[in-house]
Parts: sequence; structure tokens; C-alpha cells
Amino acid sequence: MESPHTEALSLRGITKVFPGVLANDDVNLSARRGEILAILGENGAGKSTLMKILYGMYQPDSGTVSVNGRTVGIRSPKDALALGIGMIHQHFTLVPVHTVWENVVLGLDSSSGRPSDGKGAALELEKLGSRYGLEVDPLAVVADLSVGMQQKTEILKALYRSVSILVLDEPTAVLTPGEADNLFGFLREFRAAGNTVLFITHKLGEVMEIADRIEVLRGGRNAGSFLQGEVSERELAARMVGGDIPPVGEPSVRPAGRDVLEVRDLWVRGGRGYYAVRGVSFAVRAGEILGIAGVSGNGQEELADCVCGLARQERGEIRLDGRILPREDPGAVFRAGVGYIPADRHREGLVLDMTVEENLVLKNLSAYSRKGFLREGAMRKNAERLIGEYGIRPPLPGSRTASLSGGNQQKVVAAREIEAGRKCIVAVQPTRGLDLGAAAHVHRMLAAARNEGRAVLLVSTELSEVVSLSDTVAVMSGGEIAGIFPRESADLRTIGLLMAGRKGEPS
Amino acid sequence: MTAEKHGGNSLSESLTDPDGILSSLFFSSLSVFLGLASAGVLMLFLGHSPAAVYRDLFSFAFRDVYNIADIFAKAAPLILTGLAFAFAFRAGLFNIGAQGQFYLGAVTSAACALSFPFLPSWLLLPLCAAASMAAGGLWGGMTGYFKARFNANEFLVSMMSTYVAVAIMDFLVRSPLREAKGEYPQTDVLAEASWIPSFLSGTRFHWGFFLALAAAGAAWVLLWKTTLGFRMRAVGKNRSAARFAGIREKNVFVSVFLVSGAFAGLAGFLEVNGVQHMVVQGFNPLLGAEGIGIAVLGGAHPLGVVLSALLFGALKVGGLLVTQTSSVPSSIIAILEGFVMLYVILSFYLRHRLRRACARRRAAAGGEAP
Repeated sequence: MESPHTEALSLRGITKVFPGVLANDDVNLSARRGEILAILGENGAGKSTLMKILYGMYQPDSGTVSVNGRTVGIRSPKDALALGIGMIHQHFTLVPVHTVWENVVLGLDSSSGRPSDGKGAALELEKLGSRYGLEVDPLAVVADLSVGMQQKTEILKALYRSVSILVLDEPTAVLTPGEADNLFGFLREFRAAGNTVLFITHKLGEVMEIADRIEVLRGGRNAGSFLQGEVSERELAARMVGGDIPPVGEPSVRPAGRDVLEVRDLWVRGGRGYYAVRGVSFAVRAGEILGIAGVSGNGQEELADCVCGLARQERGEIRLDGRILPREDPGAVFRAGVGYIPADRHREGLVLDMTVEENLVLKNLSAYSRKGFLREGAMRKNAERLIGEYGIRPPLPGSRTASLSGGNQQKVVAAREIEAGRKCIVAVQPTRGLDLGAAAHVHRMLAAARNEGRAVLLVSTELSEVVSLSDTVAVMSGGEIAGIFPRESADLRTIGLLMAGRKGEPS
Repeated sequence: MTAEKHGGNSLSESLTDPDGILSSLFFSSLSVFLGLASAGVLMLFLGHSPAAVYRDLFSFAFRDVYNIADIFAKAAPLILTGLAFAFAFRAGLFNIGAQGQFYLGAVTSAACALSFPFLPSWLLLPLCAAASMAAGGLWGGMTGYFKARFNANEFLVSMMSTYVAVAIMDFLVRSPLREAKGEYPQTDVLAEASWIPSFLSGTRFHWGFFLALAAAGAAWVLLWKTTLGFRMRAVGKNRSAARFAGIREKNVFVSVFLVSGAFAGLAGFLEVNGVQHMVVQGFNPLLGAEGIGIAVLGGAHPLGVVLSALLFGALKVGGLLVTQTSSVPSSIIAILEGFVMLYVILSFYLRHRLRRACARRRAAAGGEAP
């Protein structure tokens, strides 16, 4: 029976602006009852912002949300839950020291009609669990549960509030393949009961497996809406990364030379204990920029951390100019001639409450001290020189780094690291959060370092940045290098497929 | 127009700069003023005229040379316990155990003086000073070591270590170091050779005050002129960036607590050899806690610590005489000090809010320049 009420949810003309970023630009989206809608896009495509608007965590600057055909204002997650919208975040929102049932009833509205005492809740949870195949011991303490069980708990928490629209943000990122299969089984059951699922992902395989309809977002806009079966993975990958070839940066002035940085069969554990980097091998030659593309969280940052002595390497070796790099000693790696522009300059690259002059010698203190005392004259001279060369504004060595703009802060990090990276520079997301002018400046600095014959390892989730700057493009997915191409032969569709976790068949 | 705006920004910036001298001075003075006013309101409730009490307080404090000299005598150990807290605070660490480090410095200095009464003054005094610093430093260093080795919370360890230090002092003044008469839990009077010479004869103002000033100078040099200071400030302001830069934070923890404890230990030397000339069980029980307040009021800057310690010294001298000569309860001075602390801590919040508001206004006005 077709009626307007089959539409469970619709978002019309949603626009959301953050300072300096247009996160959502006139986005439209609708989902029917009994449907699994996949929302596909790269990092920064605006998926999460859109879902946070739906869940009441952000307010849109313009646009309307309607649920079951009625226009609604969702001011908080509480409003969302009252409308039957539940959200499973990528990072769980459970209290680890509490039991499953305690987590489920936490913040429960008394009007929900569900019991909030231990016995009643446990009974209800067992009923819900057996109905949807989400069996979790209600008396278990969350901290003792596996990640998959914790996710089940999160889902039960939403079901307990009788949601009919379930939003899942990259739900399989933390799951094993078996757990993911279980999750998909549940989603199909849930759909069969006439409910709606919004499934946020960047993995094409999952989209093809589970979705009824696919909405592609790119750069905060709609980039295509497809029914399952009427679109190929290739087409989706192209929509996701964009068909337009990004502007090509200046070509390498000299042919690439000897291998400077060699990584062989590297294994690194991630924060949760599993292997984030799984047997990665590559080499960066002198005068070459090797760009690693990939959706964030596929092991790139762990790889960079490990090269720079910040993460433990479980297996494999890293050589600089043929010699093994010191392990787990960032100072020694730095002195060996490797500069590191980290992903988070505020947390890792700079001490914002110290002066520019101090930050410029942060890593290389021994060169600016004698017998335990600072050589202030030398520090000042170093700062004046670098401020001039890298165009840091304001040109005052003694100003607090926190008072600089984001672009100038990044110049401070870049100046220090490019200066020290005599042989090799590792740059992770070097232009994140910068405006176009500042980003172009950082790109020019990296290109100049390459032209001087240094090896540059660039890690970025922005494909256009990688492709426009790199001589060689590698794609990382699931902790492995999924492919390496010279820039001339880098095909965006293939790269998009690889980024989305598909083994790209050449041609 | 632009110049005007820029001028306004730099004023608001220097007023809200967390490390700025101007902002510290401004907010500290404001806090002292508000503290005086709040304690004054309490005096009204007690039926005293705050104006009269404060007039008496300041006229007593500066009544004669003896009282003025006493301000310096009182301020000297406060400078050192203030430095102990301020120094560790610069590294983002909390040394709450200055009291215990002070006590161990005091008994060690006394033990030194009692063991070598035959030594000449020029040898005995430096020996006592060094011994007190070593004792305080090692006791404090223990906290730093536990933090580095076991990731123990330095706040709790240093605080609890004070109770252990008190027990050690109790034991020492009851058994090995007990006075010959064996009457009270205290030591014999130290040999005169171990007394810190008086600066103004007939007063308690002794040369130890200048030792405290020298310690403040040393703290300043350590913090801003040495690599240790650089490293500890980096660790204090952004631990993960310091780790990324290859700074070994564990070494920093131990070094900072060694130095911090040595400052507090030296306060023991000043009080024992300069004022008491003996150790009495449980003397000066609030020196460590007051040091924390002084460090906070002084913006954790050595110069600020010296000025705050002098202010507290004056409040102590004047307050003692006021409360002795009138019916104003003596606790009013402690309450006054408490109010000042409260306002200083509130001012940190206010400064933070102001700074954020300024940053937002600036971002709204012009955005970021590349």
C-alpha cells in the first residue's frame, strides 16, 4: 500500500556551516519504512554531521527534518529518541563499570513503558535479544564484554526505547568479520519488522551486501542516489571520490634517486590491541613524495607514528639510508634526520603556551644549549631565520604560539620539521583545518623539500591532496597497502575502489 | 581604526594571558582586595568595624622596626614552600607534600647541628642547609620516582607522604633526638654556631630571608634559562607534544620533585637554625598549605611568590597583634587568607572565559590570516 506514511524520514535542504567549513550544503535524504539506506562517502563528506543533525546533537542552519510525514524540530538526542530515532555511535557511549541492564536503563524516560528495575529489565532484554539475535547477559559488566557484545548492548539500548529508525555510524569498523555478519543478520530482521536503518559507511562491500538504497555524499553535497542492483561498485567509487581530476602539482624536478626510507613487512598494533598496520612494505626515494591515501583509521597514522619512533613495531624493519632507524625513541629518529609533521599539531606538534622561538627548538634542544643552560642568542637567531624563510606571521619570536592563526601555527611545525628532516619528512594531514592559502603554502614547502632531494612520506585522507602533490600514490586499506601507482597512471576510480576496501582489478 | 582595534586586542590579550605579568598582577591584586572586603563583611557580622580592624592590622604590622622585621622573618619560609609548589606546578605537577619535606628538612638540619656542635659556624651552617635540602629533596624525589616508575598520582603520594614524614619527625623528637631532660617531645637547643646570624639585631629578621630570595632567583634561572626548565615547562603545558619531541617525562618528574622538595627542605633549615633554634614536635603545621596559596596567588612565578609571601607575612604579624589586643577572633586571618585564595582560583576561571571570548571575537572579526 503506497501512502505518504511509508516515508519514515526525510531531510530537506539541510545546510550546516562550521567556522571555515561547509559541512552540509543543501543535502536531501529520505528513507522508507522497511528499508536499509546506506550513506556512502569519504571522510569529510558530511555523513556524520548530517546524522548528528538528525539525532539532535547539532542544529541545522537551514533545512527541515520530517519524521513519519510530520516536520519536527529535534533539539536534543532526547527529542530524537522520543521520535523513535536511535543512534549507534562509532565510539560506544556505555559506562564500562556498569552492567548491561544498568546501561540500558540509564536515562530511561519513565513514559517509555519499559521496566527500569533490574529484574524487569533483564527479562525484557532477554526477550528482545532472542527476538533479534542479540543475546547479551543482562547482568554482565560492560567492561568484560567483547567489542561486538558492547555493540549489541548499544543496539539493545536503542531497541529498549522502541526506536523505529536506527542510525549506525561505521558500525563494522570495530567488528570482526563474524561479528559483522551477525550485525547484518540483525539489521535484516529489524528491517523485516518494518523499521528503517541508516547505515553510514565508506566500505563498498558492505553497501553492496546490505543496502536497499544508496545515497552518496561528497564534499557535503548529495552526489547520487541509487537503488541496489542498478549501480556498479565502480560507479559508486567514482561518485564517492569525484570524477574530476584534481589540479596537478609541479612535477618532480629531478628523477627519483636511491631509496631513503625503506619499510619492510611492518606490523603495528593500534589503540585497541589489534593490528592496525599489517605487513606494510614500501620505499620512498630521494626526491620523491610518496602519498598514502585512504580513509582515516586504516592504519596510516599508526604507520607514521611507528616510523617516527612513537609506536611500537611488532614486526618488520624500518631503514633510513640503509641503516635501521632507532625504535621507540622519537628524539633519536629526529636526530637521524627524519622530520615529522603530526596529524594533530595542537596536541602533538606544539606547546601552544610556549613562544614561537621555544617551539622552533622543541625537538632539538641539545643543539641550543650548553651545559644545561639554554643558548638564548642561538635560539633567537634560529627563530628569526625560520620566521623569515617560512613567512610566519606575526614575525615575533617571543609571541605565544597560541596567539598565532592555525596556518601560522602549522608553519611553525613545518619549519621545525622540514629543517630537521634532512633526509626524510613524514607529514600526516599537513593541511587539515587550514584555509586554501595556508594549505598551498604548506604544499609548496613540502614540494621544495622534495626538490632538494629529500624523501617525503605524505599521509592524507584527502585524495586530491595526495594525488596533486605526490610522485607516487599508495592506497592503504585495512592496515595493508592495497596498491601503489606512479602518479601518471593513478586512476581515481581504481583508487576509490581500493580506498573503499575493494581489491581493484586493473584496467 | 585597525590600529585602535589592535591596541584594544593587545590590552585584552595581555590581561588574559595566563602567563602574563600584567594579568597576574591585576588579578592577584583584585583577589586580595576582594578577600579583604569579604573578610570585612564577616567582621561586620561579628560586630567589628572592618575599617578599624584593617587600620589596626596595618598599623601594628608596620608599627616599629621589630614588627616590620618580623614580616621578613615570617615571609622567608613561606617563600620557600611557595616555591616548592610553584616549581612543580610549572611542570604541571602538584607537590602537596611541602609540609612533610619541610619537616624532614628541619629535623635533618637539627640533627646535623646537634651532631657537629664543635664545627665552626662557616662550616656548620652550609652543612645544615645542604642536609636540609638533601632530606627535603630526596623525600620529594620519592614522589617523583613513584610517579615515573608506577604512574602513581603525585598529588596523592605527596600528600600522604606528609603523614609519614610527620610520623618520622615524631619518632625522632621522641627518641634519638629528644632533649637531654627527656621532658617534652623536642630537641635540645642547638649550638649557637649553627644559628643563622641576625640581619637586624634585636629582631627575628635573619639572613635566611636572603637565602630564600636567592632560592627564588635560582628557581627563576632554572625555569627560564636551563634545559631542565624548558623541558619541564613543555611537559607541564603539553605532555603529549613533549613526548613527541622526545622529552623523557619520567626524568622530568623525578628532577622536578627533587628540586621542589629541596626548596621545602630548605625552609626547615631557615625555621630551625634561624628562628626556633630547636625542633619542637609539630611546629609550623600550616607552612606547606600556606605555600600552596602563596604560589597560586603569585601566579607560580618566583617574583610573585616572594611578593605574596611578604603579604602573608604582614597579615600574620598584623593579624596576630590585632587578635591579641582585641576581641576579634584569631581565625579571621585564616578566613581572610582563605578568601584571597578562593578569589585567585576564581580569577583563573574568569581569565579563561575572557580569553575565549576575545579569541571568538577576533575570529568573528577577521578570521584567520594565512
